[in-house]
Amino acid sequence: MNLSTLFRYGTFVALVLLCILFSVLTYGRQFPDGASGATALARQITNQFEPDARILIAVPNNDTSIQFAESLTQNLTTAGFDVVANVKGEAADARKELLRLREAGEQLDVVAGNHTSANWLLFKDIRSDFPELGEVIVIEPASYNWPGFLTAANLRNITIQVSVLGILAVGMTFVIIAGGIDLSVGSLIALAAVVSTYLIREYLGAREAGVSQMFLAGAVGILACGIVGAFSGSMIIYCGVPPFIVTLSIMLTARGIAKIIANNDTIFELPDQFTWLGRGADLGGIPNTVVLMLLLYVVGHILMSKTLIGRYIYAVGDNKQAAWLSGVPVKSVLMFTYVCSGMLAGLGGVIMASDYQSGSSKYGETFELYVIAAVVIGGTSLSGGRGSIIGTLVGALIIQVIRNGMNLTGVDSNVQDVILGSVILIAVLLDKFKERRNV
Amino acid sequence: MIRLIANLGTATVLTLWLIVGVAGCNSSSQNSENGGDSDAPKIGVSLLTLKNPFFDVIGNNIASEAEKHGYQAIVQSAEEDIQIQGNHVKDFIVQGVSAIVLSPCESEAIGPIIKEANDAGIPVFTVDIPCRLPDVKIACQIASDNFQGGKEAAKAMIEALGEDGGKVGILHFVQAESCQLRVKGFREVIQQHNAAAAAKIEIVAELEGGGDRDRGNAAAQDLLQAHPDLAGIFCINDPSALGAYAALEKANLQDQVVLIGFDGMPEGKQAIKDGKIYADPVQFPDQMGVRIVDAIIKHSKGEELPAEILIPCELYRQEDAQNDPSLR
Repeated sequence: MNLSTLFRYGTFVALVLLCILFSVLTYGRQFPDGASGATALARQITNQFEPDARILIAVPNNDTSIQFAESLTQNLTTAGFDVVANVKGEAADARKELLRLREAGEQLDVVAGNHTSANWLLFKDIRSDFPELGEVIVIEPASYNWPGFLTAANLRNITIQVSVLGILAVGMTFVIIAGGIDLSVGSLIALAAVVSTYLIREYLGAREAGVSQMFLAGAVGILACGIVGAFSGSMIIYCGVPPFIVTLSIMLTARGIAKIIANNDTIFELPDQFTWLGRGADLGGIPNTVVLMLLLYVVGHILMSKTLIGRYIYAVGDNKQAAWLSGVPVKSVLMFTYVCSGMLAGLGGVIMASDYQSGSSKYGETFELYVIAAVVIGGTSLSGGRGSIIGTLVGALIIQVIRNGMNLTGVDSNVQDVILGSVILIAVLLDKFKERRNV
Repeated sequence: MIRLIANLGTATVLTLWLIVGVAGCNSSSQNSENGGDSDAPKIGVSLLTLKNPFFDVIGNNIASEAEKHGYQAIVQSAEEDIQIQGNHVKDFIVQGVSAIVLSPCESEAIGPIIKEANDAGIPVFTVDIPCRLPDVKIACQIASDNFQGGKEAAKAMIEALGEDGGKVGILHFVQAESCQLRVKGFREVIQQHNAAAAAKIEIVAELEGGGDRDRGNAAAQDLLQAHPDLAGIFCINDPSALGAYAALEKANLQDQVVLIGFDGMPEGKQAIKDGKIYADPVQFPDQMGVRIVDAIIKHSKGEELPAEILIPCELYRQEDAQNDPSLR
């Protein structure tokens, strides 16, 4: 077993421990919803009330709640209860229904809802505000204890949130393993987002743009970033400017260009279908961005571990001179890493534009730092030559899990920065530690 | 094997440290909330930035007012980054909050994010910065009455220049809808004044002041170059007014030129007390926080809400500053 696999194992353990930590911290009452919540509530109602009880079902207007309401109605009517009304909407809609019932001189025994609707203040005060309806009892499914972090909805949430970071980190891993750095990726996000949305608004029919036109615009945005990446690459390879300086200047230039194109405004004249990439979930309900990210990680992993170009990238990062002497096409390898990084940043920008259905030059500010952090936390050495794609995925997940977990536990945003910053520092320290052992 | 243990050791240390960090601040925040009930219905709040005291006051007032009414507010700073704000909203939805309060980082890009909350059946309230997209549902928008505030600013300018009239300039921040309204209100009252008054107030320039000190300073310098006989400057917020004051000081014109600011942030109020700024139409972020919670409660009771609640601005002059206990 070599050191990098051990290290990868270490970060993976850290990720698991973080998940356990946040599960413990978010352990608390959960409220059943949907069909299962409805079954539980129907049982509670059958036990508690006579079958002639008159019931109002009220839920907010969303998919799970509506499922809950429909299933509950069905369960209760089969059990012989009288469901007098079914409200799907806001408290205001429920109030209207209550007023209508009062007008009609009807009586009510039970208001049934999920946790959200049962806690509407309207129902809390129902006995004092609507005494004519009788002694109404408000009921919701009994709660159970479970970590809020460890729910399907939240885990899905994290994978969606991590996707742009994860995609950019693939390209950054190539660059860093080859011994370089790319500070321009945050600005390239903005550039791609603005270029593709600008094209759609100005030349491809704005809100009426068709699917192929949107693909074209996205491709142009990604290609533009690829060209910028190639430019950075050639400055580094042929002019010998340090990568840090080249990409720092590109970082400013690219964002400046994005601002000029967007005219400091947000470009939002886009068709609704434009959100397909960022918000759609076509493959068995898995979000498109997550599918895309996983695909890129599979390709990236195979590339780095099974192909010649992967070997070359490691070789160049380990010792450029030695690689050149042994016949590795160093220039092409470096060029490949910067073009990849640029294009993946462009892809991230298009995803972000799609997610928000608009393009703005503000997207991705300071994003490069989190991308680099993900790569470093994932065990890739900043001095090049060592690291892995899978480690990067774990690194990106660690960052997102910390952010999500801290949001769920209500940690102050300033404290969040301190914690994230320290995690990055620790990761770099580990890297140094390992280097010293290696010598 | 030793290395494996070393790596596992560091990973454990990292995690333990995080446990202490997160649990530490978590318990301290709970203590400060007087043992807030974790089962209380939650209000998710994501504000543009908490670095600006204006939003900080809004956040604090939402939190304290929410607690009074049995809610627990989760106040987050979006750091002016739409992606962070989007993630806040996603996390709020997962947490099953009863209401979401936003001051959007982007009035258009926030659209799909609000739609996400709409689809989850969670009411969205906006504060200060509106979202006017047609297909998103906002329960209520709460902001200062910027148009009326601009009018107040003009009244202060007229009051300060008195019988003499003179040339005035405007330091704008044209991107912000709120600032456009302020300038519109300002111009309207000056125009009305000029129709009747003998000594007119002439608006000679409207420059972009960027809404911050640096750019406000640069714009004021340009303004003074072009119009050395300037009598007054209306700045759309306090930072640009303070930047303009630095330019006046440099040109030794602070006694000739009257400054009117906007907002009434602590440093602006101090400047009014020191006589650097003549007066500010002040906003009331504390009231905004209170009114938002009030709106959330009304919404939860199913009562009708107006689409927009405007909170009037009031003029704040030197004598107000002298009686202000918040200033040293």
